[in-house]
Amino acid sequence: MKRVLVVDDSLSVARQLENIIKASGDFEVIGHAKNGAEAIKIHQGEHPDVICMDMNMPVMDGLTALRTLVALDKNVKVVMVSSLGGVGDKFTEALKLGAKNVISKPFEPDKVMDVLRKL
Amino acid sequence: MAVKFFGQFLVEKGVVSSEQVLKAIELQEKVNLKFGEMALSMGMITDKDVDRVHHAQRTEDLKFGDMAVKLGIISEAQLNEVLTRQKNNHLYIGEALVRVGGLTEEQLPQLLAEFKEDQAPYMVDRVVIPAGVPNGTLLEICADLTYKMMTRIADIQFRPGACALSDEIGSNDLLVGMELVQDLEARYVLSVSSGVRRMVAEGILKQGDVTGESEEMLNDTVMEFVNVVCGNVSAKAAQLGKNIEIRPPEVLQSGSGPLRVPAGKTGLRFPIYVSDEKVELFLIT
Repeated sequence: MKRVLVVDDSLSVARQLENIIKASGDFEVIGHAKNGAEAIKIHQGEHPDVICMDMNMPVMDGLTALRTLVALDKNVKVVMVSSLGGVGDKFTEALKLGAKNVISKPFEPDKVMDVLRKL
Repeated sequence: MAVKFFGQFLVEKGVVSSEQVLKAIELQEKVNLKFGEMALSMGMITDKDVDRVHHAQRTEDLKFGDMAVKLGIISEAQLNEVLTRQKNNHLYIGEALVRVGGLTEEQLPQLLAEFKEDQAPYMVDRVVIPAGVPNGTLLEICADLTYKMMTRIADIQFRPGACALSDEIGSNDLLVGMELVQDLEARYVLSVSSGVRRMVAEGILKQGDVTGESEEMLNDTVMEFVNVVCGNVSAKAAQLGKNIEIRPPEVLQSGSGPLRVPAGKTGLRFPIYVSDEKVELFLIT
């Protein structure tokens, strides 16, 4: 079972992603961080297999957190899940910083699992 | 199911890898010269002229070419010549991917057709903004994507009413706002009655029944709806060469009196008619 950390300031997105991931049968959610700083802290203790992370969050945004996560662990697998995914500059920056993929919101549940399984 | 650009569509679809798209973007960055670089390569300006233009741009917000014309470095005719050369030499991401071996030439037309079909629901429909209000196109996108997401995310049946100027944001069960900054300095405010909040919650949580969900969770679904609309506005604006940054959404007010539009700001009200419910979009700019 692959372990996923969900990072999003929205409770409803965390719930939605958790429902999708739980239903897959081969992935499980091991935690929910509400901003990039919390994500870094949880990653250091839990070392999840995958991190699904929003971009637009208070305290520390997703791209700043991604930069730190990659610096701490070059093998970290981060998928950005964001309403800003379709902004060309944000998408490019995420890939340059080391994100494995970028999923735009709103998303189809199947699309999320397709992306996670291909990592 | 969201506003995307072609490179992202291909990575999300798994047709090309993120590494291949990055290579293609790097190639684009080399080939697609900026105005100043192109004018330099055409021998129209010197390095010293570039410095003069950059210096002048610190105090006046003009594009490089327009500033060069204003300073008398190039003529209008030369400006158009450079713009035409930029346009004719522009390397698109699909062609760049072919060049770096991510796609074959044969694959490209089919994938472009699939992309066009994927994005067809997000073609902007006309929304009439009162005359004289600046940034009309971007405000139209805000309203249009709100309508489209109401259908796509929350499956709400509605009829959009005519946009009008307004000096207050009327009271409702919940008001959620988001700041838009950079090329559009505005506050996006969605005002919903509790019945519409329930419909949004069902759509966001993908649950047929949201009875028993906490107030916090229900309000959060409306904040997420606003986040999705404004993020897609930013993506659509980027396609027009405009940069819109968004801030995290916030609950402005939950169930009390109207809010005044601050002095010096323009308030636009977009009524959205849903039977027995009240929904309004306000854009304060």
